[in-house]
Order: sequence, then structure tokens, then C-alpha cells
Amino acid sequence: MKKFYLFGICWLFIAQFVKAQQPVGPAISVNFQQATIQTVVTDIEAKSSFRFYYDAAQFDSLKITLQATDKTVPTILDLAFNGTDFHYAINGHQVFLTKTKILQTTLVPGFFGIKATPGVPAAPLSPVTAFVNDGDKIIPEATTENKLYEIGVKTNTIEAGKATLSGYIRDIKSGEAVTGASIYITAQKTGVATDQYGYFTISLPKGRHLLSIRGVGMRDTRRQIILYSDGKIIIEMMEQVTSLKEVKISADKVANVRAVELGVTRLDIKSIKQVPTVFGEADILRVVLTLPGVQSVGEASTGFNVRGGSADQNLILLNDATIYNPSHFFGFFSAFNPDIVKGVELYKSSIPEKFGGRVSSILDVTDREGNKKKFAGSAGIGLITSRFNIEGPIIKDKTSFIFGGRATYSDWLLKLLPSAYKNSQASFYDFNLDISHQIDDKNNIYISSYISRDKFKLNSDTSYSYSNRNVNIKWKHNFNNKLFGLFLAGSDRYQYDIASFDNPINAYKLKFDINQTNFKSDFTYYLNTSNTITFGLNSIYYKLHPGTYGPNDPKSLALPDVVPAQQALESALYLGDKYDVNDDLSLSFGVRYSLYNFLGPQTVNNYAPGLPRSSTSLLDSTTYSSGKIIKTYGGPEIRLSARYNLGDNLSIKGGYNTLRQYIHLLSNTTAIAPTDVWQLSNPNIKPQYGDQVSLGIYKNLKSNTIETSVEVYYKRLKDYLDYRSGATLVLNHHIETDVINTRGKAYGVEFMIRKNTGMANGWISYAYSRTFLKQDDPTVGQPVNNGSFYPANYDKPHSFNFVGNYRFTHRFSISLNVTYSTGRPITLPTGKYYYAGSERVYYSDRNAYRIPDYFRSDFSMNIDGNHKVHQLTHNSFTIGVYNLTGRANAYSTYFTQESGVITGYKLSIFAKPIPFINYNIRF
Amino acid sequence: MNMNKNIKYLSYLVVLLVAFSCKKPYLPDLAATANNYLVVEGFINGGNDSTFIKLSRTVNLANSVTTAPERGAGVTVEGNGKTYQLNEIKAGVYTALPLNLDVSQKYHLRIRLANGKEYLSDDSEVKVTPPVDTVTYQTKSDGLHIYASAHDPANNTRYYRWEYNETWLFHSKYISNYKVMNGDVVPRTVDEQIFTCFANHTSSTVALASTTKLASDVVSNAPITNIIPSSEKISMRYSILVKQYALTKEAFDFWENLRKNTESLGSIFDALPSEIKGNVHNTANAEEPVIGFVSVGTMSTKRIFINRDDLPREWMLQYPYDCSQDSTLYLNPTTKSNDVAAYIISGIYLPTYAITGPMGGPAIGYGRASYQCADCTLRGYKRRPDFWRD
Repeated sequence: MKKFYLFGICWLFIAQFVKAQQPVGPAISVNFQQATIQTVVTDIEAKSSFRFYYDAAQFDSLKITLQATDKTVPTILDLAFNGTDFHYAINGHQVFLTKTKILQTTLVPGFFGIKATPGVPAAPLSPVTAFVNDGDKIIPEATTENKLYEIGVKTNTIEAGKATLSGYIRDIKSGEAVTGASIYITAQKTGVATDQYGYFTISLPKGRHLLSIRGVGMRDTRRQIILYSDGKIIIEMMEQVTSLKEVKISADKVANVRAVELGVTRLDIKSIKQVPTVFGEADILRVVLTLPGVQSVGEASTGFNVRGGSADQNLILLNDATIYNPSHFFGFFSAFNPDIVKGVELYKSSIPEKFGGRVSSILDVTDREGNKKKFAGSAGIGLITSRFNIEGPIIKDKTSFIFGGRATYSDWLLKLLPSAYKNSQASFYDFNLDISHQIDDKNNIYISSYISRDKFKLNSDTSYSYSNRNVNIKWKHNFNNKLFGLFLAGSDRYQYDIASFDNPINAYKLKFDINQTNFKSDFTYYLNTSNTITFGLNSIYYKLHPGTYGPNDPKSLALPDVVPAQQALESALYLGDKYDVNDDLSLSFGVRYSLYNFLGPQTVNNYAPGLPRSSTSLLDSTTYSSGKIIKTYGGPEIRLSARYNLGDNLSIKGGYNTLRQYIHLLSNTTAIAPTDVWQLSNPNIKPQYGDQVSLGIYKNLKSNTIETSVEVYYKRLKDYLDYRSGATLVLNHHIETDVINTRGKAYGVEFMIRKNTGMANGWISYAYSRTFLKQDDPTVGQPVNNGSFYPANYDKPHSFNFVGNYRFTHRFSISLNVTYSTGRPITLPTGKYYYAGSERVYYSDRNAYRIPDYFRSDFSMNIDGNHKVHQLTHNSFTIGVYNLTGRANAYSTYFTQESGVITGYKLSIFAKPIPFINYNIRF
Repeated sequence: MNMNKNIKYLSYLVVLLVAFSCKKPYLPDLAATANNYLVVEGFINGGNDSTFIKLSRTVNLANSVTTAPERGAGVTVEGNGKTYQLNEIKAGVYTALPLNLDVSQKYHLRIRLANGKEYLSDDSEVKVTPPVDTVTYQTKSDGLHIYASAHDPANNTRYYRWEYNETWLFHSKYISNYKVMNGDVVPRTVDEQIFTCFANHTSSTVALASTTKLASDVVSNAPITNIIPSSEKISMRYSILVKQYALTKEAFDFWENLRKNTESLGSIFDALPSEIKGNVHNTANAEEPVIGFVSVGTMSTKRIFINRDDLPREWMLQYPYDCSQDSTLYLNPTTKSNDVAAYIISGIYLPTYAITGPMGGPAIGYGRASYQCADCTLRGYKRRPDFWRD
């Protein structure tokens, strides 16, 4: 194929300019009956001066029946090939016969500024698919980028009006789709980004365009096209290898400035892997925590807090599957395998209307697609975990798979502990298996699955385990160049169980699980250049078992206790439009109508209105049968954002959005514990509601190599759940009597400077943010802090992060990570008294004090083995030190009585510099 | 077992998992806030035992004293149309002789402070405590574990709390056979021996159990206390008296909260400290914080004895002090000084044994040891408790 094009390209240069000069030759007469191409060619060559060039194999299926008298050769060929897939091209006395594709013997009209003269009418042209090859060594890069690709049905004059260009961008090496690449047309000041599957569609005026293509971690490239009518293009991009000699700067790294949405951060796995982590294994959640506006309550804790939201207000998606527990080992590791993940997107403010169900943020993690061209894999060995992944084609260029697995061998760590823990065990594993299949150029199927499991057994007597299980199938269908659809069906599950077995009388087993069955349909319609419409319907059916308790030993007296299953249906219909009003002003407005039905069978308690909900105000209960709609909540959610360009590299954006959340995590601990339970909204527990207004200024500096932004936000939360003192959350049959509706407000300003290219890259972020909660439920007897605002557990006003990487050579780079934040609020004792044989403490107002400020710096060196292409394996090492300065940051403080006397302690984990080493091998 | 407790163990694991963790004393700089709340501790004993109520006040954390007794209050138990007066026998300690209350009635406590403020506890039924079935022990690598078991055939008790009094026999490191009297060293009589003593200790932790999740009201081996293998408590003979109290749900919640707030590890997996709400209220101002929960009920007890012989032989006593004996002579051959006068008769050290000359005869000196090593009365007492059986 490539040779064929080379041949064609060469011909382009020696060809004559104008078709009118071509001879048509004498008129001849022919008579073919089911003739093969050889017969036809031999006959015509005998009767004229034309010589034919063709690939006989392509024409073996062609049989020509034609009778013509005194016709020119082009006329005869027109008649012969009419209605077939075969074409001809005449250049002088040479005739080129082709199948499917048309060989152009002329340069395009306007190539030299000369208006094309009408020539031989073209046969019906089929759309050209341009296979652009960045990596072919024979073609210099400039040639490829400067080649002109014709899109659509060629016409001699370029018609007025617009046409739709749709395309697909993939990685030249692996054939994998390039997500989030931007295609920008500088002259039109318009652009588009590829979707999750590498597709894009843009409407452009017909004519000649220069496409500037930029992808995260990919080398920038350009394509020149002539757009005649609607058509397609496939663009292959090369992975970026940081150059030592020069940094190529493009004038179109403008996504930061030009995108309409605000509060969105994209990270690719490459920048994630550069950040040093405690055990040397790349950790997505740890890197997300370095972004402005993202906080956590401690170094090893599950979950994160975005702009003052609680940890259960983040929707964490892995290939569109909801991950309920994104951590292993209580938060020491994130649940995502860094060798499989392609990148993450965090939506803090402008949450696209297709997402919903959580009031704070969406963290969208996507896996890579498997290599469609060849088998490849990698393995990594760390101090605590090992990883393995393999990927490759099932059907070359069509179907591929990627599989990744991780497991721990951490028991040796436990062996180092005091003898009381010697018999403890702790382990986890996770597996990903994703398959992508291209049915044809309109249909793609993606299957992704994930399973994780954590297990702990303590010396004492209790074992814990928790597990995520997710599977889904997606079908992406291009109805036409303007309408794309994505259909998803999937199921997500999170479960845990606790078993006790030491004392047979008390031996018990406690189980919890939440299941959701999802159906999603998302459509994108490119109405015209100015409007991109998205719409769709999402549905989630929840089935939740809040707690099943029972004996774990034949002798056990544990009384079976089952909190009845809860079920609900959450549906949403959305419609959005991205509207480019003019070159400088773009709007994105969407509305998502979400509807929630709490379903039977269920027995719901009724309480006296206006009184605190308690066993004394309980009036009666109502029992509903299976499938009966018990309670419906719902309402519109508004998603608005706007961007105005103040110059080429400067823009301001504003946004407002509202969100609703129907599912709550019941947790009265500082950090999420793996044994916390989820709860569905019901007649006694209202859904959470949040809204946020935000404003940002974005500027790119130094030819767009440095992105800067300042964003401010103000956010309100309603009906967030807090708990009464001493509330029991597990196996509680009337949880509504123990929860307190809480209101929250959060505001802040976030600064970020990011440099993605060059030898030195990374980001610096600073955020000033405050988060306050208030118990304003009138039915609560004694609210925390007498019903006035108090700081939330994760209220850390100042936070600063530096993440940097400097690449000395292709094989050696260093990374440095510096984090500072104000200490988190704590409740400290202010008084003491003597009770029950000991000193006891009396606590202050909630969260009136703070633990000491947090500071940590980490350093790592990344050493790659040699880069020779033809070797079996490629090795790399990461060596580093976590907490370089060895600062003993407070993890928590506590006051406990020892021999009857109260003593305060500050507990630090990772209180010393922790060296680590990680070995990776690719094959 | 108790779920919260297990979460606590989890926290230990998380912390210990990482061998790099460390724990340091922490003294926050707290603004001295005036806090001076009434603390009511005690139990209206409806059975055939005395009732003790202790009244005190909270003090600032930085304060060196913990107890600020509330004196001169009028304390009465009321209910069933009767009033029982409690008398202050010690600063802040009010007591009444056995009340033998009617278990079908409800009772409360009334407190009138010297400053005129009046407080009432919530009316409460008389919770009858079932007997302690057994007090058992197990020896594990980390020491001696004491457990209590109980049951209520009527399935009515459900919530249990235990306190305990430990008493043990121990001896000092060295026997002091001599004493100093009138400037001279003289032998001790049997009554004057200070080698073997008794000591006791009252529980300072909150031991709780609930059987609400069990099919029948059976408490099986609820942990009461642990003793490390090297403890002096189990060096000779040890006894523990376990006191059992049946609780109402509200009382259980109070104690559970007290335990969580003051005995938990404080990791981020522990529940946030929360207000401890008792059942005592100011009659004029219900919002005034009053600490304490006054239960009404009976108490049952059980005592066991554990001998050193019952415990593993390899458990070695770690004497709480560094001890050594030195010879002390009337005429120190090197310095020519009278060391007995300088060290023993002066009262700096105790004489332990006599040193006689090579030919016998009167003592030329004595062994000497510090008081901590030879006098058990420094941390114990010699009077044999009435309940003690050998």
C-alpha cells in the first residue's frame, strides 16, 4: 500500500498541471462480452496510443460487457467502469487503473494559486481515507505534514458552505486511540478534542485547512486538508520522546485557554509515573491529591475531598464503572493499576451534563486499549507489590485485549512487627481485563472488567475483606458523520465482610454489599460549526444490602440480624449544547433532569412531623410491596459555563452548576473506613444537593508551553449527613434517628502553573480554601457547636504543591515533589475530670484546633536501560526517597488515659525518610 | 465481639504496618478556657450495699490537680414517695447506707449545691444485675487475661459493665532483718517485717459488653483486664474482685462514649470525639453541661485468686526498681570512716543482713539497700485484708 502511494506522490510532481492538455486520442470501436481486464486493455492498446498500468490482481473479479462505436478512450472507460468501484486516470498516454481509490494526476486546484479549469469530469469519487504515516522512515516528516489530503467528494471548484470532517486519531505504534487530543484550526479559531475513543467531528467551511493536532504525551503534528464535502480522516500520532536538542513549540497548545469548561484537569499516566510515591509504585490518587482544590485527611486514607466536598461526594469511574472503594490497604495504595491506566480527568467545577449522581466531583479514570498490532507487556517489582500486564491483538488491527494484575507480598512487613502481630496477614490483588473490538468503521465494542480484593486477618480474632467487582460493555456507533452514539450496559459491586472466630460463643460474620446495574446511552450530534449537542439517558438500579449479621460457628449464639435490602432506581435525561457564539465567546449549557425512585419491598418508619426523629416520636410504619415506588425525588440540574477570549493566549471563564446525590456513605470517622456502609435516600433521608459558582482566568505563556490559571469558587451543600454522638452506623434498622442533616459552604481560590513539555516539566499549585459545616436541622436537640458553622475535617486553608521532573538524558531523569498544607482541624480536650478510676477529658467545640502543619518532600530518580529497539526487554529502575527531610508529620493526635492519667500523643506515619526501589521490565 | 473495638485493632494494624511510624508526646498550646462543669459519678445501689456519689468539677487540662471536689451539697435519692438522705463523708463524697429499693419503682438523684443550683438525674428503673457466673483467666504470650462471664435466663439484662478491685501479695527485693533504733542497728521482730505486703488497685478502664446481637443473653469471656508477665501483681498471689453492673441502653451508650473519647487510639479510623451526654440536668438550665450518668440498680461480684504456681514458669518478675546490696562496715579499711553511721544510721539506706568478722562475734557491718528495694510498705500495706485466703 505504502509503495503505491509513494508511486503516486512521485507522479504528482512530474505530472503536467492542466488536464486540458491530455490527448483523448482517436475514436475507436469496441465490443466486449464478459471480457476480462486483460482482453479490454490489449484491445484498446492495439487500437490507440494509450498504455495501461494496473494491478491485475485487483481486477480479477471484473467482467466487462460493452459495445461502443466511434468513441474516445476516456468515454469507453467511463462506460466500462460506470457504477463499479474501478477508476482510471489519464496522464499523457498513460492510463492508470485503480480499484476503490482514485489516482489524481493533477495537483489540486489552487495549489499554485491558479484557478482550476474545468477538465475531464470526474467519475463518482468515493471518500478518500488518508493513511497518514508519521513514522515511516522513508518519508521525511515534513513531507507528510505538508502533504495535502482531499476529503470528501472532489469537486473542481470549491463550493461555498460547510462540511463535516470526522476522524479518528490513533497511536502509530500501538494502534490505540488517542483520547483528548485537540485538533485546532488556527485560521478559523476553532477546534475540537477527540473523545474517549479517539474520535472527533468538526464542521468547517469547505476548502483548504491546516489542522494542528496535539495530544497529551504525543508529538504535535499538522495535517493539511482540502475539504470538498463531508468526509473522514484517520490520523496517526507518534508518542512524544522528549528531545534533547530542541523543544518544538507549536502555536496551538491552547486547550487550557480555549476550552469552555473550567476546573478540569487531565493527567496522563506518564506525568503520574514521574511523581515519587511512598513505595515507589505510581499512584493515581496520590497525584490527584497534588492538584489544587483536592485535599485528604491524612497520608494513608481512603478517598479525597474536592473543593470542600466529602469523600463520598466524588464519583470515581474506571472505564465508566463506579468504583466504590478506590484504595487498597486502607489507602496506602490506590486501586488503579498504573500499567493499565491511560490517564485521568478530574472535574471539579464544570461537570459535563452526562455525569451526575455526586455533588462534588467526577474522577474519570480510563484504561489504555490493548495494542492492536503486536503483543507487548510489562512487569514491575516493588517492595510490597508486583505488577504484570500483557496486551496484544486478538485479530490484528481489529480486536485487542489488555490484561493487568497486581498482588502484594506484604506479609514480610508484618513479620517485622511486634510478636502480637506476627500471625497477622494482609494482602490484596486486583485484575483488569479490557477488550476492544472494531466491527467496522462505524461500530466499536469495548468490554472492560475489574476486580479487586483486600484481605486482612488480625492476630486478635477478626478477619476483614473487601472487594470491588465491575464489568461493562460499550458499543460505540457512528450513525453518520454528525451523530455518534455510545451505549453502555454494566454492573458494579462493592462488598465487604467481617468475620470473628476467636470466641465460639460470639463468633459472627457481618456482610455488606452494594450492587448497581447501569444502562447509559450518550449521543453527540454535531449540528453545525457552532453547535455541538449532547443528549442521553442514564439509568442506575441499586440493590443494597446494608448489613447481614449471623453466627460464624455452630456454637455461636450470634443472633442473625438482617437490615432489609434497599433498592432504588436513579435515572437521568440530559441535553446540552456547546455553542460558539463567535470567535471569542463560547457557551456550554446543559440541563440534566434526574429522577430517583426508592422502591419496595420495604418497611418505612413514620415519625411525628416536626419532632426529633427518635424511638419516642415513631408513630407507625408502612410496608410497601416489591417494586412499589415508595418515594420519588428529582429535579433539574443546571450545568453552565462560558469562555471569552481576551487575546490569543488569555481567556476568562465562568460557570455555574447544580448537582444532586441520592446515595450517602455513613461514616463518623475522620477518614473513610473500609467498613463504612452506604445508604440510599428514602422517605426519611433526603438526597444531597450542591451548587457551585466559579470563575477563572487562563493564560498561556512562552508560546503556550506554560499554562497558568486562577480559579475562584463558592459552593453550597445541603442535606449532607452527620451523626449524633455515639451513633451506631452498622446494622442500624432506623438510621434516620441517628443522622443529622448538615449544611455546608466552601469557597476558595486556586492557582496553578503547569509546564508539560521540555526537559523540565511539572506543575506548581497553591490553593486557599475553606470548608464549613453547620447543623441547622431544627429537629436536632443539641447540634454540634450549637448550630453554628464549624470547619470540616478536611478544611486546610493553605495548600501548596510542587511536582517537577527534569530529564537530563533520554535515560535519566529526576523528580521532586514538595507538599505543604495547613494541618487539619481536630477536636481537642479543654478540660479534664476524674471519673471511673481515671482522668477523663472534656472536649472543645468540634474542630476548634488544628494539628501541626504538614510538609513533605519526595525525590526519585528514573533510570532507563538502553534504548536499542531490537532487544527482548526494556528495563527501567526507579529509586527514590519518600519524605526526604524525615519530618514527623502528625497523622493524628489523641489523648488517652494511661494508668489513670491523661497523656496527649502525636502519631506520625512515614516519620523517617523512606527509601524505595522499583524495577520495571517491558517486553 | 464489639465492632468498634475491632476497628480500633484495625487502626493499630494500619499504624504498625508501617514500621516507620512513630508516636511522640503532644502538648498542644490550648488557650485556658474557663470550664467548670459539675461531674456526678456514682451509682444508686438499690440492693443491700452502700450508695456512693462523688461530686466534682472539671478543671483545665493544664491544671496539675484533676479532682476539684464539690463540697457541702445536699444529695438525696428520691422515688416511690420516699426520700433518702446522703451524707458527705469525705470532700465531695456522699454516701447512704443500703437503700433496699423497690425494684418495681423508679428513682432519681437530687443534688442541691451550696450555691443554690439544683440538679436532677433522670428517673430510672432499678436494674437488677444477674450474678457473675465465672471469672476466668488465660495465659497468653503477652500476659494474663482475666475474663468474666454472665447470663440472664430472662434475657433482660443485655448491657453489662464491670469494675474490679485487684489485690496482690508481693515482697520487696531484699529482706531487711535489721532496723535503726536510737542510733543503733537492732534486729527486727516478726511484726516489724517489711518484706511481704499487700497492694491493691481499682479499675481505671471501662469494661463493657452487650448481648443485643446474640440469641440469648449470654456474656462469654468478656475481657476485664490484662496483666503483663513481668508484673509484680502476679509475683506471689493475686486476687481480683469483679463487680458487675447491669445497664440500661442509655447508660451503656454513655459509658461506650466515655470509653471511645478517652481510651481510643485516636487514629483516623476512630470515631470523632463527641459530646458525652449524661442523665443529670440543671433544673433551671437544661443546656448546662453536666457530666455523669447516675444508674439505679444492684451490683453482683465475684472474687478469684491466682497463685504464682498456676502461671507459666518462664514468666519472670521484673522488679520495678534497680536494686543492689552493698557491704557497709563500721570501719572502712580504705577510707577509715564509719560507713554504718554515714549510710545506715543516718537513714539513707536500710540495713539488710549482718556482716560478721572472720572469727564471728558482733557484727562489723551490715548489708545495705535502698528503701525501694527493701521496704514493701512504700507501695503496699501489711494489714491482711479480711477477704484474703491463703
